Amino acid sequence: MEGFLNLILEPIKEVYLKFKLFFPSFLAMLTIVIIGIAIAWAVKKLMLKVFKAANFDSWCDRMGFTALLRKADVWAKPGDISGVVVYWFLLFGFLMIGLSALQIQAIDNLVSQFFLYLPRAFSAVVILLIGYMVAGFLSRAVLIAAVNSGFHYAKLLAEAVKLLLTVLILAMALEQLQVAPSIVLAAFSIIFGGIVIALAISFGVAGIEGARKMIQGETEAKKEEKGDVEHI
Amino acid sequence: MADFYQTGIITTLHRLGKPSLERIEAELVEHSKTRPLALVLPALYSEFEGPAMPKIVEELSKVKYINEIVLILARASEKEFLKVKEFMAPIPYDVKIIYNDGKRIQEIYDTFKRNGLDTGQDGKGRSAWLAYGYVIAAGNSDVIALHDCDILTYSREMLARLCYPVVSPNLDYVFCKGFYTRVTDKMHGRVTRLLITPLVRSLHNLIGSHPFLAFMDSFRYPLAGEFCMSLDMARVNRIPWDWGLEVGALAEVYRNSSPRRICQVDIAETYEHKHQSLSADDPEKGLMRMTVDICKSIFRTLASEGVIFSDGFFKTLQVAYLRMAEDTIMKYEADAAINGLAFDRHEEAKAVEAFTKGITMAAQTFMDNPMGSPLIPNWNRVTSAIPGILDMLKKAVDEDNR
Repeated sequence: MEGFLNLILEPIKEVYLKFKLFFPSFLAMLTIVIIGIAIAWAVKKLMLKVFKAANFDSWCDRMGFTALLRKADVWAKPGDISGVVVYWFLLFGFLMIGLSALQIQAIDNLVSQFFLYLPRAFSAVVILLIGYMVAGFLSRAVLIAAVNSGFHYAKLLAEAVKLLLTVLILAMALEQLQVAPSIVLAAFSIIFGGIVIALAISFGVAGIEGARKMIQGETEAKKEEKGDVEHI
Repeated sequence: MADFYQTGIITTLHRLGKPSLERIEAELVEHSKTRPLALVLPALYSEFEGPAMPKIVEELSKVKYINEIVLILARASEKEFLKVKEFMAPIPYDVKIIYNDGKRIQEIYDTFKRNGLDTGQDGKGRSAWLAYGYVIAAGNSDVIALHDCDILTYSREMLARLCYPVVSPNLDYVFCKGFYTRVTDKMHGRVTRLLITPLVRSLHNLIGSHPFLAFMDSFRYPLAGEFCMSLDMARVNRIPWDWGLEVGALAEVYRNSSPRRICQVDIAETYEHKHQSLSADDPEKGLMRMTVDICKSIFRTLASEGVIFSDGFFKTLQVAYLRMAEDTIMKYEADAAINGLAFDRHEEAKAVEAFTKGITMAAQTFMDNPMGSPLIPNWNRVTSAIPGILDMLKKAVDEDNR
């Protein structure tokens, strides 16, 4: 009978002991997450105030970031969106820290991978932001130069430059994020190479006549030079 | 039949004989291939419940030379916006409805505000301005025509005659204003008859010859809400958001173009729309508010042209205006008598008294703050301040219409 009771009580004792060991970690995790929520909320509020004071929304409007959000049919203010992104980012970070307090090997690995991935994600965001600004600037410069040169398809050319640069920047960002790097590299090489070959062919075909005239002109000039009589 | 006398410094296109609508429309179809036309309709939802809008939609369905209609709908819920979409569905060409109270358009207004661009209060001026922005953003049209949505006597001939001088490359006007008779069993159009014309003429008597006064006096119905203009004018003109919209818009046209390229056209035999009450005791309502805003607009334009105003000047102006307006009443009384129209001289005199009060209030406001301008910045300035705004506006409207 005693043996039978032990058979029942042992697993319960074991679960109780495990729970006794796990409970402080669980409490620690809960505490970290709750503190994290409070910190994320406070940081969000603070950021919104700083953004407001620094006219961040207006700056985004002028730099074209707002237009980018609107293109994606996102109609919240850029400052509010940034606040929400930071809030969820911090919350996720604290959740990861909280999970590491559970001291479970698998979760620990996940957490360390997450924190190792952060610099890459940050770099990708920076690449996207700077790239978008550079693409916009170069596209505008091309538009102005083409319009001033009397080029008929100035807008099309500017859009093409912007598209090419956007493809390049997206490829760089994805490469940084290590999202299927080989596929991204291959796709980028194919697309970019294809565009360059298409441009080269179209330029070559359209320029045959021009090139012929140039070469003919050069040859005739040389002939004339040879035939010239020098008078002393 | 009208006479063919040319009044003032702008061109007047009269209705002579019986002009063929078919001929004008056929020419407009041809010309609109090189100069596509956008029709802007500023509307309140309440106008769709009235008798005017069904007739307007029916007439517009028959028009073949319009490239796109941009209807800006104000004071409407989301459900009402959807109803209006259905209402406009019979029109067989592109119709875009700008949902003024929708979250996307409200965010666009917020974007203006946070970038220091004051677009003023909600109203016809701001609505028309935003609709021009959409036409510019869409880039599909070269000419913009605009008319109100409360015209009870609407016919497509009205629109054809309004658009013809600007759409036709042979005439090549950049701005065309409509005019018409405001007569039923009596004369309407009190603000034009008893305020603007006598005021402009008394200012002329006090200041002497001035190009702006000559320009204003050339318009037979300066408060007409119907006009047509080139897209470039829509880009460079600022628009008042207050009740001085029509006069302020004319002042901008005067500033930005030559009178040789401006015309007015007789668009209708009769014209009937909703009438405003005088509200003589409340300067914030009805024709009194309109009076104050119109006078402010005229004073500010003249001041910007170098005319110096003083308290003494305004006192003289009140007296000069009153005398001029009284003389005008007598002229209209005679005109009504010969045409068998009802004419309440006492009511007309009461209106003149109210307008005199309005001029005094406008003068006071002007003296307190001569710089206070209710003009919405032009689109060139807006795109300079917020480079991506036209794309945002287009996206907002296109998404709302999806």
